[in-house]
Amino acid sequence: MEISHNSDYNDRKFALPVDSEHKATEFRLFSIATPHMRAFHLSWISFFSCFVSTFAAPPLLPIIRDNLNLTATDIGNAGIAAVSGAVFARVAMGTACDLFGPRLASSSLILLTAPAVYLSAIANSPATFLMVRFFTGFSLATFVSTQFWMSSMFSPNVVGTANGLSGGWGNLGGGATQLIMPLVYSLIQTNIGSTKFTAWRIAFFIPAFFQTLGAYGIFFLGQDMPDGNYVRLEKAGEKHKDNFSQVFYHAITNYRGWILALTYGYCFGVELTIDNIIAQYFYDRFDVNLHTAGIIAASFGLANLFSRPGGGMLSDLMAKRFGMRGRLWTLWVVQMIGGLLCFLLGKIGSLNGSVVVMLVFSVFVQAACGLTFGVVPFVSRRSLGVISGMTGGGGNVGAVLTQVIFFRGSRYSTEEGISLMGVMIMCCTLVILFIYFPQWGGLFCGPRKGVTEEDYYLSEWTAAEKEQGFHKMSLKFSENSRRERGKKGASVPILSEKETPSTVVKLYFALFSSSMFGEES
Amino acid sequence: MEVPSFLVVSLLFSCFVATTRGSYFSQLKNTLTVTATHPQGQVLKAGDDQITVTWGFNQSYPSGTDSDYKTVKVKLCYAPVSQKDRKWRKTEDHLKKDRTCQHKIVARPYAASNNTVTYTIKKDVPTGVYFVRVYAFDAQDVEVAYGQTTDAHKTTNLFEIQAITGRHKSLDIASVCFSAFSVVSLAGFFYMEKRKGKASK
Repeated sequence: MEISHNSDYNDRKFALPVDSEHKATEFRLFSIATPHMRAFHLSWISFFSCFVSTFAAPPLLPIIRDNLNLTATDIGNAGIAAVSGAVFARVAMGTACDLFGPRLASSSLILLTAPAVYLSAIANSPATFLMVRFFTGFSLATFVSTQFWMSSMFSPNVVGTANGLSGGWGNLGGGATQLIMPLVYSLIQTNIGSTKFTAWRIAFFIPAFFQTLGAYGIFFLGQDMPDGNYVRLEKAGEKHKDNFSQVFYHAITNYRGWILALTYGYCFGVELTIDNIIAQYFYDRFDVNLHTAGIIAASFGLANLFSRPGGGMLSDLMAKRFGMRGRLWTLWVVQMIGGLLCFLLGKIGSLNGSVVVMLVFSVFVQAACGLTFGVVPFVSRRSLGVISGMTGGGGNVGAVLTQVIFFRGSRYSTEEGISLMGVMIMCCTLVILFIYFPQWGGLFCGPRKGVTEEDYYLSEWTAAEKEQGFHKMSLKFSENSRRERGKKGASVPILSEKETPSTVVKLYFALFSSSMFGEES
Repeated sequence: MEVPSFLVVSLLFSCFVATTRGSYFSQLKNTLTVTATHPQGQVLKAGDDQITVTWGFNQSYPSGTDSDYKTVKVKLCYAPVSQKDRKWRKTEDHLKKDRTCQHKIVARPYAASNNTVTYTIKKDVPTGVYFVRVYAFDAQDVEVAYGQTTDAHKTTNLFEIQAITGRHKSLDIASVCFSAFSVVSLAGFFYMEKRKGKASK
């Protein structure tokens, strides 16, 4: 089902069908057409390289811990540092995207964190090891620019898919690195003949180099929005340069952003924690060698190839039939099951059993991440970047919390920590019950009568701002998000009784309601 | 979508199918005397310094006790201070799980006396405090006896080893240069972007 696009001359310059905001309404994976699909490929590849860099150390820890004389506490602290930097970096990135555009924001961050990866090669103590992991971890904020960019390029009907694929294939880096780094390490050892303690250092140049390449790609080949870059659009007056404090205010006062930040901490945060501890867990508990531990650990992250995108697609599929309520229900169920599987993982004592449970667990926890970002684009239009940043940052907070509580020092054995983490996942997922969209409903309550998408999204702008026409994109987004009512919501009146819309807006309603509901019945 | 309970039960059951074969350290007899000589009063450097280990059967035990000793392995082992907060070096009684002695010095057929080896500390030995232990194996390759340079509490006669850093000058320079290049590239990007902005008026 496609939204009928106006046969304006503007549309003919896009390779994909677009909506009124020129966002693509279809997702064609094997295309690299500008600007939509090219943005997709640039963002997931560079995000992938950041993930590879951030988790390059864990698979090589059995070597690094001997070289740098690390204790379990040092390792735990470095693991926490790796994910804590991104907590604030993600919020900052969200703001930067809102203000400067995802292209500049992400390429800047990637180039600023690449030095941390290069300098990892010369770390010589627990303190310097912690510092390089800390600064490298900032690069995970590119997640926010990825999601923001996808939400700017793709229409609501495919945004879950686009977000899920770009996020998932980026997260793939966390798994791929567990294979790449041991492989690069052994290649260096055999071909260059370096000692163990030198080989791992040289190995770090590989992820660093790819990260740098990613930034170059984004800068030279990407653009912020379907119509162009922020810089050009703002100068031409087509895009209004928004006010930072307003954007920030509307993000932090929206309670849904905070709830999603918490729950994301217990799907994505858990994923990050597992990326940090799982190779050592298999190496130490089941006595497999470095190579094998790397492969097992990798398969956890590699499930991202289909599981996170699957979550995003599932979100879009549920929304088609059940609207936003479908998205929320699916998220809750999938994340709960993920928590249960995590609890089980710590209880299994055999190698084969552990691998099986870990794989099923990875699918559920990553699908929950994809499902979360099926909801995020709808929480706010004006402050999309900051909300994405908050949620993303919340993911990292979850990673910090779980590692501090369960995987630092020698208080719990690793298997105990994993089970307890599963229990915490289930408890923290319960808050999804409290998310409510007045125009669409929540888990247990239906939508409020007479409330429209316009009421919700335009409430982010003051009357003065509306007079100046700054809210136009929120208006367009409101129309395009009408499908979040699901099939049942088709009969709900779309005109608000509180506010009489202008003639222009009435015209839009007439146009779009006939095209939408005409096709659905 | 629930995990079937029988599956859970069978998975849990497999936890208990553990490998309990193999010997325990507490069952081994301390019938070997081991001495290690090395440069005194200094920290030994990996890759450079040498340790000379001599071992033999302790004659105060009845002769014939060593009749089933077929091979020996001489190992470099971590002292308790180097095991602290490092569970990958933990001492376990079950020798298959024990991680105290991770660095093999040499493996030899068993001889009651006149055993000696000069070992140059390998480059992959980490910084730490060590002692030397010799395990004797029977024909089935199961540990039956041992001897070590330190006492039962592993507090006397320990020596320190300092690992190599693994760093090289060329690596240092390459790191710094590439890092600087990244930052300079970024400055270049900003400059280009500003020019584009001015040009699109």
